[in-house]
This record gives sequence, structure tokens and C-alpha cells, in this order.
Amino acid sequence: MRHFSLALKLLWRDGRSGELSVLVLALIIAVSGSAGITLFADRLQNTMTNQAAEFLAADLVITSSAQIPESWLQQAQQQHLQQAQSVEFSSVLVENNSLLLASIKAVSAAYPLRGYLKTSAADYQQEAISYQGPKAGTAWVEQRVLASLNLKLGDTLTIGEQALLVQRVITYEPDKRGDFYSFSPRVMINQQDLQATGVIQPGSHVHYFFQFSGNPQALADFKQWLKPLLTPSQRLMDIHEDRPELGSALDRAERYLGLSSIVITLIAGVAIAMATRRYSERHLNATAILRCLGCKQQEILWLYSYQFIILGALASSLGCGLGWLAQDALFVMLKDLLPAQLASPSLLAVSFSFATGFMILLGFALPPLLRLKNVTALSVLRRDLQPLPVAAWLVYSLAASLVALLIWRYTQDLKMTLTLLGVGFVTLLGFAWLLGKLLWPLQQGLPKLSLVWRFGLQGLVREPPASVTQIMAFSLTLAAMILSFSVRNDLIADWQQHLPAQTPNYFALNLAPNQQEQFAQDLQSQNIDSNIFFPVTRGRLVTLNNTPVQQHVSKDSQGESATHRELSLTWSKELPEDNKIIAGQWLPSSPAGLVSVEAKLADSLGIKVGDELGFTVGSQQFSAKVNSLRSLQWDTMKPNFYMIFSPGTLAAFPSTLLTSFYADGQQKSALSALAKKYPSITLLEVDLILKQLQNLLSQLTLAINFLLCFALLAGFTVLFAAVLTTLDGRIYSGALMRTLGANSQFLRQIQIIEFAALGFISGVLAVCVSAAVLYGLYSQVLHMAYQPKWLLWAGVPPCATFIIGMAGYQGLRRVLSYAPAQVLREL
Amino acid sequence: MIETENLGKSVTTADGLLHILASVNLIIKPGESIAIIGESGSGKSTLISLLAGLDTPSTGKIRINGQDITTMDEDGRAALRNQLIGFVFQAFQLLPALTALENVMLPLELNGDKQAKAKATALLDRVGLAHRLNHKAKQLSGGEQQRVALARAFVTQPALLFADEPTGNLDSKTGSHIIELLFEMNREHQTTLILVTHDKQLAERCQRSIRLAAGQLI
Repeated sequence: MRHFSLALKLLWRDGRSGELSVLVLALIIAVSGSAGITLFADRLQNTMTNQAAEFLAADLVITSSAQIPESWLQQAQQQHLQQAQSVEFSSVLVENNSLLLASIKAVSAAYPLRGYLKTSAADYQQEAISYQGPKAGTAWVEQRVLASLNLKLGDTLTIGEQALLVQRVITYEPDKRGDFYSFSPRVMINQQDLQATGVIQPGSHVHYFFQFSGNPQALADFKQWLKPLLTPSQRLMDIHEDRPELGSALDRAERYLGLSSIVITLIAGVAIAMATRRYSERHLNATAILRCLGCKQQEILWLYSYQFIILGALASSLGCGLGWLAQDALFVMLKDLLPAQLASPSLLAVSFSFATGFMILLGFALPPLLRLKNVTALSVLRRDLQPLPVAAWLVYSLAASLVALLIWRYTQDLKMTLTLLGVGFVTLLGFAWLLGKLLWPLQQGLPKLSLVWRFGLQGLVREPPASVTQIMAFSLTLAAMILSFSVRNDLIADWQQHLPAQTPNYFALNLAPNQQEQFAQDLQSQNIDSNIFFPVTRGRLVTLNNTPVQQHVSKDSQGESATHRELSLTWSKELPEDNKIIAGQWLPSSPAGLVSVEAKLADSLGIKVGDELGFTVGSQQFSAKVNSLRSLQWDTMKPNFYMIFSPGTLAAFPSTLLTSFYADGQQKSALSALAKKYPSITLLEVDLILKQLQNLLSQLTLAINFLLCFALLAGFTVLFAAVLTTLDGRIYSGALMRTLGANSQFLRQIQIIEFAALGFISGVLAVCVSAAVLYGLYSQVLHMAYQPKWLLWAGVPPCATFIIGMAGYQGLRRVLSYAPAQVLREL
Repeated sequence: MIETENLGKSVTTADGLLHILASVNLIIKPGESIAIIGESGSGKSTLISLLAGLDTPSTGKIRINGQDITTMDEDGRAALRNQLIGFVFQAFQLLPALTALENVMLPLELNGDKQAKAKATALLDRVGLAHRLNHKAKQLSGGEQQRVALARAFVTQPALLFADEPTGNLDSKTGSHIIELLFEMNREHQTTLILVTHDKQLAERCQRSIRLAAGQLI
């Protein structure tokens, strides 16, 4: 601590003389950027998780085919968890000589624990939010129930032996599940009326949902306590496993948050590295004098480290404060789209941001500081004060490993970290090497150019290592910005592609094969286009390689749930849209007896290409050989199948047809006529689910747009700050040239040429780096198809030329603002 | 001819206004050689910077060949310097990224002179650096750098040459070589020479000396 007071004094002097302004600015941008984004991401993630919980109407749900032991509920109570229950079953309702198979849901008073219900008095008019289900003696129903049974609000509806007053129309139910085969219109009643209906008898097919919510730790403890006690007919539900179509959208959005954090960290790191490089160059003299006066190398290092620690603490605190304000402002702007109850910013995220500030500072500032340590006493006497060359690997490997650590901490995703870093650095270093080689021959051609061009380009060409460093800094920042931008565009385009304006909102099931043609024609006459008709046979997967499939399942897995119920088996000659073969082959002319299995299910059950699967349809058995594994998009709202057989395999079994189509408001009324004409078919309306999904995606899109703006803003600020750090040399040569008679127009031209050239080269390099990283990211992490982006190649280099050229032009004002005598005297 | 009228320069510091120069009235005739002497901090370098148009005065006027340079903007003064003025600095002030030849060519090129290379080569030959044309400033010794600076100062055939302690950064032997060269070239080009120096002997070689103390002529 001997040098602490000296360090403090030097820091104070530097601060007062404006010496630290660029470094402090870079630090504040870095910390407030990363703090803002960490806090925002953390809070948004918590909010999204909360909102995702709404889709279960709780944080944790146990589904069971029977009542669960009372001791479980007591355990939950001991953990101070809130509880609610719902019971779902199908029942045939008869009113006004009409029959309807309805899905009854009896809910307890506390339902829903998360989210809310929406109901309306008449059809979609005056929608009201409600945090409780219907009161005893009343029922809330979907509009379809009223239409099918010729009822209106205020009428009586009888379920089993209990008559209930139809009070409201349900328009939104948080935990409505998209299981298309159990999809019948909803009637919601109070649990107190359940007993009186007398519908539930021993042996009835009933689903019990036990819902819990509360403190995350208590939930985790309860979950852990509960898991070993569950029987095969009971299951714990979680948003990622249970709603794959929402889970995958959430997953990607979470990854984008991670990516944005990385982008900001990288940009911030570049800013700090540029600023400390300038700092160390400007402190060589002072360091050499200290060395002359007997300061040891170690002491020099401490002297500067103290200063940086103090600086880091101050700037990190300020940055955290600004970051806090920034994220708060963002949430205020997003207020209308986000749920009313936002998760509060976590103190952990704040302290993490503070630590991040320090880590970025030390990781990027230490290498140039080490250079100061090595200044020799002799160098001051000889006035030979050029920065000492340091092995580049030391500088970059230190910074790189720090970035790696940060990225890994942010993303918790080793694969994404390695992809980003590996591909990015290899490309960057490769190009840096190539650039160094290319700049040299350019130097030979320099004397042939006109004076303005010669002076404009010589800054770039004369000292390749310095130029390469600068170009790398600019291109890294630009590449980070491009990355943010492209991933955002593709992510949103991908979602829109999954849910285009005319995404099917109806499914037609149970269509007899001989009705297909007529049904398609009837739809056509209403101007409704139907999608492909898939044949469906209901069957169970029973054996894998002649052993019971139950032996291959692990608890709570996708495989377990798929083997406990009947699956929809289909056959097709063509591979359905959005399906991708990831193992084996899809043969259009496959012989009967082959099956293609959905990849995640295959993974869960350990199914491989070539395995033999045994199925039962009714009481009959058959087997098929796995010839391919498919990945598919769950979030497309199109029919998806676990098992697709080769044509002919299921010929011996009865089948029905399934299709999906889009009908708008007016066409919907025509559908009831259609339903009457084909009494056997089931028409499923999935508008509610679709609306739910679209809402979520539009919220995520908005959040992602804000993150992008944040990243771009940080990028631009850093680009401008980076230009400032290179001004010292320019101010000197500008002053000297003005002494020799150069006018401001000449200086302006050479400055613009130099920065525009710098921008152009950085732009090209940035596109190369980002293309390589994007390819890696898409194919390895986001699992999206990579399309070469020609627009980037055409757009980024000119934009970078313009932006960096303008930044240079801006910096020129400082070059011109000094009187030549002032600059020359200072040297 | 250079004329100054009531020339003054002051800067604001934490302790208030600091007068570096005050009420300097001076006439320098064409072809004259003048030494400005005085102790450190007496305002010598400030005076020479003002006379050469490298800085602007706080008060007073400077006329060069009848033109008032205090009313010109920076570009106007730059054009004037390019046509009329040559410089030699204590710290040489060569552009480090350029070779000796390019440094000497620079003022000519800024003026659009097509003969820049030939003229610069001839001048470098004159200062004995024909063999060092393509060396960068960093690769030259102090004496060599100052010779390049001399060649650069004379290459535009300036009417006025300002030298601010031209031997201050050199050892005595190299310094006296440079001074010999400076006076020889000054004779050859018949330039008006304004020299700032601490060196009494050097001052005595000029036709006239003026002394500054605390920012005023005495």
C-alpha cells in the first residue's frame, strides 16, 4: 500500500487535466451498457418465466389421474406454497335437443395462481379480466357451447345432475392446452359444484391438476421432495417440457439476450483496450522518469493497478447507476406490452455488473499496463520512448480468455461460447494476418498517388501493426453490431414464417376417407384453402427391438408421456414441410414396413435408425423398422407427427383424415353449416392458443428490438470514442503540416480518406467475421437455416466507410482547434 | 519586413491572467539577421511563434510585408507560411512516418510544385544527406534530423527563416556544424533570419540582438 497515496495523487492530476476522459468515457459506456443489459435481461427473463408460468396458471403443476395423497398437499403447505386445483373431464351436454361433447373444468377458489382469465358478457364484447373462476352455481362457457346448444347467457346448463347458470363467455384461459385430440369446447365450473354433478364416478376418465406457486427456492425443494414419490400416472409439468411450441420461442429469445450481452461485452472490451493503449502511450514518459528515480518494475505495476482499481470502482458504480436507469426506462417504455407485475431487478445482477466492469477493465487494461512496467530507465535518457513491443499473444489471449469467461457466465452455454469465440477469433486473426501481408505491397505503390491520397492512406499503410490493431478493433465492433442485427432479423422472420398472417386456426379431425373430396370442395366454396390431408390411425408404441418400450423410458421424459397414450400414426410419401431428416434416409418409394421417428422422442427412448418398433392398433399388433429420424418445428401450428410410416404399412387398419385451415371471422359462421353436414368430424378452433402465442412473440420481438438498439448505440459510441483515442498523433502531424503551410481543406481531405479507408476495410472484415460466426451460430446453436446475406456484403462496407469517415471528420475538429505553436510546444 | 505594434500575449491560469508578452514593438528589415535572447520563460518562443503566425496574439498587430497577419484566419496564415516562411525547431519536428526526402518535399508539394523531388534532393545533397534520402526520421541521428529540418526550411526559398534554439537538442560539435550550415544557407538564399537562442556566441553572429525579460523588450 506504500504507493497508494502517490497513485491517488497521480490519478487526481490525470483526472483534472482531462487525461482520463476517454478512458473513463469508455469505461462508463462499457459498464452502463453491460449493467443495463444484464439487469434488463435478468429482469425480462424473470418476467418471461413468470409469464410462462401463466401458461400453466402456476409455477408447478402435478397432473394425475386420481387424487394425490393429502400428505403432499401438507408438505406444500409447510413450504408456504399457494395451492389451487382443477379437475378436467369430458361430458356430453344435452340442451334444446342438441348434443355436445364438452370439456368440463372444475376449478378451486384460488385458480389461477398465475395469469388471469378473460371473459365477456356477449360475444367478445367488453372483455373483463378476472383472477378467479366462476362462483358456485354458475358456469362460464366458450362461445361454441352457446352456439352448439342454442343457449344464451342467463340460461341454465345442466351438467350431470347439476343445473348451473350460464353467466359469462370465456375468451381467454391461461392454461388451455393444445392437445388437439382432447380439444372440445370448455365449460368452467366451480369445484364446489363438482360433487353435485355426480358425473365423476370411480373409473371415470378424469385429469386432476394440482397447482402450486411461491418462492422459487421453496418450489425447488418441494419439487425435489416430490419427484421420487410420483407414480407412473402422475407427472410434474414445466413450461419447457410441456409447451414445446412456447418453450422453443422462449429458448431462442433467451439466447438472444445472451448474445446481446456478449456483443456489449465485446464492444466494451474493445473500447477499454483502445483507451488504455492510448493511456499507456501517454504515460511512458512519466513511467520512465519514475524508473529513473528508482521505482521498481513491481512498484510501477502496483502504482498503475491502484489507479485502475480506484478508477474501476468509481466508473463501475456510476455505470451501474446509469445502467439501472437505462433498464428502468426500457421497462417504462415496454409497460403496455409486459405483464402488469414485473419481476424486480435482482441485486445479484447489479453486483454481477459491478464485477463485470472490473473484469472488463482489468482484462483489457492489464496487457497495455504490463507494457508500462517494462519501460527502462535508459529509454528516458535516450528519449527513445516508443512503446515497447509486447508479444501480441499475451495481450490477446488474456483478453480472449476473459471474454470467454464472461460469455460463458452470461450464456451458461459452453457450445455458444466456443462457437462465437472460436470462429470469431480464427477468422479475425486469419484476416489480420492477411491484411498485414496486403498492406505491405500497397506501401510500394503509395508514392505514385496524389498528395492528398498519399497522405490519407499513409497512416494506414506505413505502420501495418498499428493499422491492423485499429482495423481489428473497428471490425470487431462492427461485427458485433452486425451479429446482433442479423440474428434479430432472422429470429423475427423465423417466427413470422412460423406464424404467418394466415396460420391455420382450425383443425378438422375424424374425417372419413370417402368424405375427403367433398369436404375439400365445400371448404373451397367458402374460399377456404385446406392444407394437406393426413391419414391418422390411433395406436400405441409398445416394443422397441422386441422388448417392452417401458423399459427404455426415464421418468418425466417425453418418451414416458408418449408411451402412456395413444399416438396419431400417419403415413406419407412426401416428407412434410418443416420436417428435416437428421439421421437415415427418407425414401419417396419406400416399401411398407418402415417408419420415420421424431428426433427428440427417439433420443428420449434411445431409438436408432435400424431399430424395430412394435405397435398396437386396437387389439392388433404390427411392427416397423426405423429408417430415419426427423426434427420438426413444434411452433408452426401445423399437424406434426411423432411417427410417419411408409405408405402401405397401416393399410390393414381403419383411418380417419386430419387437416388444418385458416378461416377468418366471416367464414367462421359458414363452418357451423359444415359441422352439421359432416356430423362425425370434429372442428377444433385454435384461435386462442394462436393469439396467446402471437402475443408472446410480439412482446419478445419488441424486447429484442430494444436490445438491438442498445447494442447498436453502444457500438456507435465506441466507434466514435475509438476514433478519439487515435487523435494524438493526428493532432501533432496536423499541427506540423499546418506549420508548413497545409490548409484545413487538405487536412480534412486526408483525414476523411484515411478514416473512410479504415472504415471500408473494417466493414469488409466485419462482414467476413460475422458471416463465419453466424454460420457457426445458426448451424450449431440456434438450429436455423443459414442463408448467405448478400445485402450485408453490399451494405455494410459502404455504411462503415461513411460512419467511420464521419467519425474521423468529427475528430478533425479537434485537430484544427489547436494553434500549431501550442501543439509543437507541448512535445 | 516584419513590424509589430503593441504585441501582447496572455493566458488564463488557475491563479489568474498570466502575461507572457506585453507591449512588444519591433521592426525587422528584409535580409536582417536577429537573435532573440533572454532567460528561460522570458517569452522568446512565444514571440517567435506569434511572428511566424503559429499562434495568435491577445493584443496588438503583426505586419509581414505590410500584411496584417493578426486579421487572417488559420488557413490564410498557413498559405502565408507556405510562401514566405521557413522553420527550424529545437526538437526537429519531422513527420516520423515520412522519409527524409518526403519530409523535405512536403512544403513544396503542398504548394503544388512539380519539381518537388528534384529540389528536395538537391537541398538534401547540399546538407550532406544524399545517402540518407529514403531513411525515415526515426532512423536518423539528431544532427541528421536537424539537417533534414534545415533542408525543409530552405527548400521553398522563404523570405523569412525562424529558428527556435536550433542547437538546443544537439551536442556542441554537431550544434556548431548545424549553425555553420544555417548561416551558409542563409547567405546563399539571402533570407531574413530570426533566431531564438541562449548561446551568446551564436547571438553575436547575428547582425542584431534583442533581449526579452519577463515578456518585455529591454
